[in-house]
Amino acid sequence: MGLRASLLQATWNYERQQGLGWAWALSPALERFYPDRGVRCDRLAEHTAFFNTQPTLASLALGAAAALEEQRSLTGAPDADGMRRVKNVLASSLAALGDRMFWLTLRPLAACLGVILAASGSALGAAALWVCYNAMHQGLRFAGVAWGYRLGPAVLSGELRPRLERMIGAWALIGVAVVGAIVAVLLAPGGSPRPAQYQVVLAAGLLLGLLAAQRVRPSPTEWAFGAGILSLIVTWPR
Amino acid sequence: MIPELVGTVVLGGVAALDAAPVAQTLLSQPLVTGTVLGFLWRDMPTALTVAIVLQILAASTLPVGARTPEDYAMGGVVGVGVALLLASQQSFAIARDGCALLGVFAGMIAAALGVPLLKWQRRRNESLSRWCEAELRAGRAGALAQAHAAAIGLAFGVGVSYSAVCLGLGSAALLGVARSQSLWLARAWALAQPLWIGLGLAQLLHAFVQRRLMRIAVFGAALFVTWLLLVMHAS
Repeated sequence: MGLRASLLQATWNYERQQGLGWAWALSPALERFYPDRGVRCDRLAEHTAFFNTQPTLASLALGAAAALEEQRSLTGAPDADGMRRVKNVLASSLAALGDRMFWLTLRPLAACLGVILAASGSALGAAALWVCYNAMHQGLRFAGVAWGYRLGPAVLSGELRPRLERMIGAWALIGVAVVGAIVAVLLAPGGSPRPAQYQVVLAAGLLLGLLAAQRVRPSPTEWAFGAGILSLIVTWPR
Repeated sequence: MIPELVGTVVLGGVAALDAAPVAQTLLSQPLVTGTVLGFLWRDMPTALTVAIVLQILAASTLPVGARTPEDYAMGGVVGVGVALLLASQQSFAIARDGCALLGVFAGMIAAALGVPLLKWQRRRNESLSRWCEAELRAGRAGALAQAHAAAIGLAFGVGVSYSAVCLGLGSAALLGVARSQSLWLARAWALAQPLWIGLGLAQLLHAFVQRRLMRIAVFGAALFVTWLLLVMHAS
């Protein structure tokens, strides 16, 4: 199931979002719990309904859903509505935690670690980025199914959530330190300071970026595009 | 040059898969694809110069909530690919700076134009999911595997085609500019590169700090200590 969870977003669409991927990832468990092909296909069809959460932490929900399906195959409860309610609750709490954990913290941190190595000319920056992210991402993706199965729908109400919250705080702290180190490396690569013009423009970029970050629109890419056009205009040959 | 071009467009397909449909391992991030392209084209300095800028911009673009962010998986491959293709036709180092500038522009445009393409694929997947549910209700469990194979095939095909089109258009439109305006582009690069890096780093800093004073202090301390260590090491 952990391996199949890698394809959770393969068929992402606006109508059901990860619904189809969810059913695909859950199908090994359903094969075990429902030997009858007809019942199994009905359950699979139920699971193709709308589902969306952060893709890595979805493993926890998959494990919990497998535990519930096992219970359902033995006792008949929960019914389809109960199953849907549990999935919705898990999806929203895992998305809130996972978005902060992976998209807002770990991915930028991994990128910064990669950039600081690449800025010194090393091709190992890419490897650092990839390993730093995947140690956590793949670890949680595979271990998460077992945790979810063991703890069931209460997977986030125990010790796991505070532990992950502490981890996010620690990563953010490392992240600001790495951004500070990148700025220092850019200002004085190898210890010899860059020309004053470079330092002033870098500072201007930082200031502009901090101002731009206060608003969602224009996006960072739109700001960067504008800055690039401005650079072309300012240096236009006269 | 043919093997390098083929390798670049295939990498475009792989990046399109990794970005969302398969595994999301960050193989599709511009620094990773840029480094692979640097090895492929045997020009690591140009590849890393462009990849660093695109990576910082990609990291500051977040796939949170309902917003579809710019497609930097494609932007990374196209940006670094165009820069390497243009740089392979230049003899002087200063002309390579101009190629880096054009590469970053090409990457940003490819990333922005990739969004409608992603939306189109997601709309195509809607009918796939409806078909799949109907097949499952009819007792055909194999439909799930077929639907996934179709969606993955589509994503790979779109990635390969889009990177090929962008590389072709980019090189056709920019080769002449890179040759004739190399001095102007190099001057613009000297201004734009720190501006872009500063802009992106500020976005990352903002995401990490979250208005906490202690984190701002850590940023300042890390900056000062690293700078001091670099200067001491140099002297």
